[in-house]
Amino acid sequence: MGPIIPNGLIPIEWDSIIAIFIGICFGFVLESSGFSSSRKLAGVFYGYDFAVLKVFFTAAVVSVIGIYYMDYLGYLHIEQLYIHPTFLWGAIIGGVIMGVGFVAGGFCPGTSLCAVAIGKLDAWVYVLGIMLGVLLFSELFTFFEPIYDGYFLGNITLMDSFGWNPYWVIFIFSIIAIVAFAVANVVRKRVKKVFY
Amino acid sequence: MVVKKKAAKILSFRYMILALILIVLAGGLVLLPKVPKQEGIEVEQLLSNVLSPERYISTDQLAEKIIDRDPSFIMVDVRDPESYKNYSLPNAINIPLKNLLDEEYEVYLNQAQFDIIFYSNDNLYADQAWVLGNRLGYNNLRVLEGGMNEWYATIINPAIPEEKMAAQDFDLYTSRKAASMFFGVMYPEQIQMEQPVVQKPAPKQVIPVKKKKKKPVEGGC
Repeated sequence: MGPIIPNGLIPIEWDSIIAIFIGICFGFVLESSGFSSSRKLAGVFYGYDFAVLKVFFTAAVVSVIGIYYMDYLGYLHIEQLYIHPTFLWGAIIGGVIMGVGFVAGGFCPGTSLCAVAIGKLDAWVYVLGIMLGVLLFSELFTFFEPIYDGYFLGNITLMDSFGWNPYWVIFIFSIIAIVAFAVANVVRKRVKKVFY
Repeated sequence: MVVKKKAAKILSFRYMILALILIVLAGGLVLLPKVPKQEGIEVEQLLSNVLSPERYISTDQLAEKIIDRDPSFIMVDVRDPESYKNYSLPNAINIPLKNLLDEEYEVYLNQAQFDIIFYSNDNLYADQAWVLGNRLGYNNLRVLEGGMNEWYATIINPAIPEEKMAAQDFDLYTSRKAASMFFGVMYPEQIQMEQPVVQKPAPKQVIPVKKKKKKPVEGGC
């Protein structure tokens, strides 16, 4: 049956409209749960607020379990889902840059736009920085191109490259999540509280 | 008050309960009996493909393709190797039905450049081969309708139409007869026609060779 759009249950022309709708909902939820505050986001790294870790880890675990149950029951063909292609070194370098930006600025690109919408000045600066970075990257693209296009591994998953059993991976992943939440709680109790 | 206290007691464990639900659900995935997944295209799709006669190619069409040296198709004989050695169509390859899904033959079936035409003695085995391939999503497979028997009946040994039959039948007969000649069938009238033409030795031609006349010496230096 699913995924809905590739199988024609919803015409493909609808996908931008659905994307805009989901985007608005996502932005609303981010804002209303306080993710437009750079202090809350940076709290993960200083140990006084683990909301980001908990939210995104829970989202990943819940969706992966849900997808595999739907696949098991035949509502969804997992092999039809889009898998993002892996450019190994591009992903590693980009991840490091993004992480540094996350700690330093206290936003990830999505939440920064959220914060721009409610008029936070630091978010304006952050988004300006993103724009500058984009400009710099496109100007120096010929220089970065070998990394950008190289080390292409295809649309692979952990199951493909290591031959793991997906069900056990999910089970272990959920346990890791719960352990991480417990550890986060312990750390948060030890660290001096910050009010913001 | 008592109810509220009880609720508060339970709610103080709320994260534990949520974590437990998560583990139970994830563990359920591990423990669930694994059902082998239906491979290839959807069942409904396969059924409608099977019922559709689109896959058939007639012997006349195939003969025309062979005679025209159409490069766009590969013929696959799905009978056993013995029958294949005994008689088969020109340039056909032999993939016995039981070996159809072997890895070495996948290059022939799973490609988009050539049409694959299956045939067997009738179209029964060829149809089975077609179903196996179609289910795996190979979509340029065809079946020779009637198989080798039909090939014999129509191309190699076409029935001579009766006098009262339509002109179309006569046309068809002539084209089939011509096709059978292409595939090496000899007809009596064809043999009669081939009387050796005795070549008469050509009379010798005398080509006169002009002798060069010596030019009178003209004035020189």
